[in-house]
Amino acid sequence: MNLTVPALGAIIAFVITTLFVVYPVPVLMALFTFVAQPLFLIVGLLYLSRVFTELRAKDVL
Amino acid sequence: MLPFPLPSLLFVVKLIGLILGVLGIVLCVRVLLVRPGDLTSLRPINLGITTLPRAPYLKLVAFAALIVVPAGAVAMANYHVFVGVEEVRGCASCHVMWPMANDMLNPQSGTLAARHFRNRWIADRQCYHCHSDYGLSGSVDAKMEGYRHLARYVTRTYPEPIRLRGHYLNRNCLNCHAGMAKFEAVSSHHTVGERLSTNQMTCLNCHGLAHPSPAARTPGSPEYAGLMTRPRLGEPR
Repeated sequence: MNLTVPALGAIIAFVITTLFVVYPVPVLMALFTFVAQPLFLIVGLLYLSRVFTELRAKDVL
Repeated sequence: MLPFPLPSLLFVVKLIGLILGVLGIVLCVRVLLVRPGDLTSLRPINLGITTLPRAPYLKLVAFAALIVVPAGAVAMANYHVFVGVEEVRGCASCHVMWPMANDMLNPQSGTLAARHFRNRWIADRQCYHCHSDYGLSGSVDAKMEGYRHLARYVTRTYPEPIRLRGHYLNRNCLNCHAGMAKFEAVSSHHTVGERLSTNQMTCLNCHGLAHPSPAARTPGSPEYAGLMTRPRLGEPR
C-alpha cells in the first residue's frame, strides 16, 4: 500500500494546522479553513480508497 | 483547593494541538519511510504493552497518521475558528475591526459598544454577546457568512468602511434588556414594543450609534488614523 502522496499531503496540512493552533491569526485561519482542512479530507479519502482497494484485492470485501 | 492554578482552556487547546501536530508529522514521516518489504515482514515490534508483527504495526501507524491524529488536530484548530472568535481579541485580530475595538477602549466614547464595555454591563466576550446571530459563532448559515468574511478579509477584497450585510436584529438587545425593570419602566418601549420585536425600527433610532460612524471609519477621515491603531487589549475580559 503506497501512501506517499497522502502522507505528504498530511504533513503540509499538519504544518498549517499546528501553526494556526499556536498563532491563531486571520491568514493562518484562512489557510487552515480553505487549505489544510480540505487537504485532510482528501488525505483521509485517499487512504480509505487504498484500504478498500487492498481489501478487495485480498477478496476480503 | 489545588496548590496551582488550573491552566486556561486556550492554553490546553494550544498545547494539545501542538502535541497532535508534531505527533502527526512524525507519524507521517514514518509512513513515508515504509519500504515495500516492511509490509510483508513478520518481524515483531515490541510496543511495551503488546507485541505486533511489523506489517500490522505499520498499518496502525498509517491509520493514526492519516485518520485519527488529523481528526484530533482539526478539532483543536476549530476551537479557534468557532470559540476563539467569541473573544474581543479574536474580533480585533482582523485590523478592519480595530476601529470598533479602539472605540470600545476609549473612555470618552459615547457609543453603545463603548458604554457596555466600559461599565462592564457585559462581563466578557462583549462583541459576541451583541453579535451572536451571525459570523463564525452563529448558526450554520451565519458560519457560511463568516467564511465569506474570512475569505474577503485575507484577499483584501472588501471596501472600507465595512458595513453589516443585512439587518441587525433587535433581539440581540432584547435578549438582555426585555423584561428588565429599568427597560419596562420606560413607557416608549411599550409604545414601540411591537415595532421593536418585528425589527420595523431599531434600538439605535433612540439610543445612538453602536460603533464609530461609517464616515469616521472611511479612509482619509480625520478620525481614521486614530481608529486604525492596534488596540491595546489586555487579558480576556
